[in-house]
Amino acid sequence: MTVAVAEEWVERPLRDFVGEARVLLALLLHPSGQVLAQHGFTRAVDVMSACALAAAIQASSGELGKQLDGRPFGALHHAGRERQIFLAPVRTARNEYILLAVFDQQSSLGIVQLYFEEFRAALATAAPTASVERPPALAPDFEGELNRNLAALFGRK
Amino acid sequence: MLAGLTRQRGVRGSMVVGESDGLIVDASLQVGVKGPVVAALAASLYRRARMSADAAGVGTATFLQLEAERGRVCAIGRNDLVLVALAEPRANVGMLRIEMLRALEALG
Repeated sequence: MTVAVAEEWVERPLRDFVGEARVLLALLLHPSGQVLAQHGFTRAVDVMSACALAAAIQASSGELGKQLDGRPFGALHHAGRERQIFLAPVRTARNEYILLAVFDQQSSLGIVQLYFEEFRAALATAAPTASVERPPALAPDFEGELNRNLAALFGRK
Repeated sequence: MLAGLTRQRGVRGSMVVGESDGLIVDASLQVGVKGPVVAALAASLYRRARMSADAAGVGTATFLQLEAERGRVCAIGRNDLVLVALAEPRANVGMLRIEMLRALEALG
């Protein structure tokens, strides 16, 4: 099983989650759309697309939750005919992230939810404790950061 | 239906769980039983047992019993629903099985 990471501290929690929950694809990203880690993707362009879409969905559902319920909605599950997605925020002392997981009939929503809770706890424990200011939604060097992370994930110079 | 199962001696809880999603449809559980966790894992276990039985050519899985150090997990299913019961070692498994089969009929 291959888990590619831009920051080492996320590798173990994500690897455990992917293995236990038997998801096909997994992405851990910053709410701005920058990727931190991935499993299952073979092309950088797919990661970029998935990150952009996941960040947009999370932003939309978060805002919708605020409008309807006074606070952002939590996890989102969407079931297709063969594949399903699970999208949920993960908060650590360092920052907030988004996990996108794609799974099929080899897993189930219950299993993904179960191991997501473990992933959330493991990530919070593994996160560097030094608090940093929340970066702007679109960092000044967003494109550079994005390309650096993609290069780290796919081994490009 | 579930309350009746849970009233059996030594039964700590029972649940109806979706087989494909592992989510609880209804449950009657004693305090301290981690319902969602057991539901997700038991449904996954039952589904794999059913697929194994099918692959082995031995027909439909009828009753699954997992014996553990401090109790048992029993499961039977129909129409994408799994009836799961958690029992202590002292529980009468024969009686529990009959009650679960009856409850399964009620599930339709």
